[in-house]
Amino acid sequence: MRSGPVILTFLVGTALIALFFIPHHKAQAINAELLVWATVIYAFALILGSISLWNTHARKIRLKTEGWPYSLVTLFALVVVTALGVWQGVGEGTVVSRIYNMVNSPLASTMFALLAFFIASAAFRAFRARNVEATLLLVTAVLMMIGRVSIGEFIWKGFPGFTEWLLDVPNLAAKRAIAIGVGLGAVSIGLKIILGIERGYLGRSR
Amino acid sequence: MGAELDTRWFDPARTNLLVGLLLFLTFLAINVLRAKRGGSIYIRPLAGLKALDEAIGRATEMGRSILYMPGLGSMEEVGTLASITIVSRVARKVADLGCSMQVPCYDPVVMAIIDGVVREAYLEAGRGDEFKPGSVHYVSAQQFAYVAAVSGIMLRERPAANVFMGSFYAESLFLAETGNLTGAIQIAGCDKVTQLPFFVCACDYTLMGEELFAASAYIGREPIQLATIAAQDWAKALAAAMIVAAIALSALGHPELGRLLHTS
Repeated sequence: MRSGPVILTFLVGTALIALFFIPHHKAQAINAELLVWATVIYAFALILGSISLWNTHARKIRLKTEGWPYSLVTLFALVVVTALGVWQGVGEGTVVSRIYNMVNSPLASTMFALLAFFIASAAFRAFRARNVEATLLLVTAVLMMIGRVSIGEFIWKGFPGFTEWLLDVPNLAAKRAIAIGVGLGAVSIGLKIILGIERGYLGRSR
Repeated sequence: MGAELDTRWFDPARTNLLVGLLLFLTFLAINVLRAKRGGSIYIRPLAGLKALDEAIGRATEMGRSILYMPGLGSMEEVGTLASITIVSRVARKVADLGCSMQVPCYDPVVMAIIDGVVREAYLEAGRGDEFKPGSVHYVSAQQFAYVAAVSGIMLRERPAANVFMGSFYAESLFLAETGNLTGAIQIAGCDKVTQLPFFVCACDYTLMGEELFAASAYIGREPIQLATIAAQDWAKALAAAMIVAAIALSALGHPELGRLLHTS
């Protein structure tokens, strides 16, 4: 059994819980220092990530798997952007910044814009009145949609208020019930890991 | 003049949180002792987790892989921690059945940890040589680049099952809808209330909120793990009772309990 990582997790976890309750400036300085450590670890992990990315796509190119030219584009972009970043930096006005603003951002916005179509297809499937619950969802959705546009108020003056009530009372009650469960579940899993009950993160079930 | 340095060793505004934490620890200790003495602990069946076994079995029969997505959360996200505990159990089952698994990651730290976890799960199953290096791989730390890459994997490689477990954001519907188009069995578990409706619409099974945190214990079925879920249920019952009592007392003109429950 690996006791080293479990002891380390217990010590760091307990210390972080204690730091949450201690507002003393020295304690908070330790807390801030630990956050710096996390950033340093992330920076090193990014190197591992880049190696993983390289290996994954190099393998695809070598084996000529389906869509391998995309892997070539990925590796080309990885090498060029990294080289430019090391050579010129990543500040405002550099080539990397221009690539980010003129290639990456528009591509991300385009992807995000596709969300409308995905919502439409998911909504179509969800709103089919197959059973009582789905019918209830369909009726509520129709009422919500009518109530949120100006024609809703034209049909019945109380429509906007009714949709607000739907959002603020039944909807919020359900959301809060889930949120309370999530909060308690989060505490539970945190304590399980700190106390060494859950060791799945070490790859061992026991 | 500089701001005055805080020299207090305890924040009294967080007393209620400390009491809550100590109560939770007490519930945990009681239930762990119960489990160690052989007391039976019942937890309700979770359809999504039962389906996970079927999905791995189906993938094995079809000779196709399982695509496991740990979400976009970093290691600070408790949803990611839950996902890591689940992936170890899933990897163990995958290794036992001789199926294959792919885990595309968004965060390099999470990738490094999951890689170790999956490797260990294969070793524990006695099939260390069957672990494929690169099956856990880094994709991108850009949200929509990740979506594009994973959607590509789904459409090209057609995994038999897509498992979404962890913290997801705007990408949830993209991934779940694309997966739905491929006809794969889809099982999701998410701790973000705003993303749950998307998963419910597009997936076959969805673990909601706390069910994600219970999943690892449920799959493992070890008595001490189950005891932690029982402790969580006790805490939830207490929280519900306190909320009802605070509302009733406030209605009667005594808001003290409500104020006591307020956190800063």
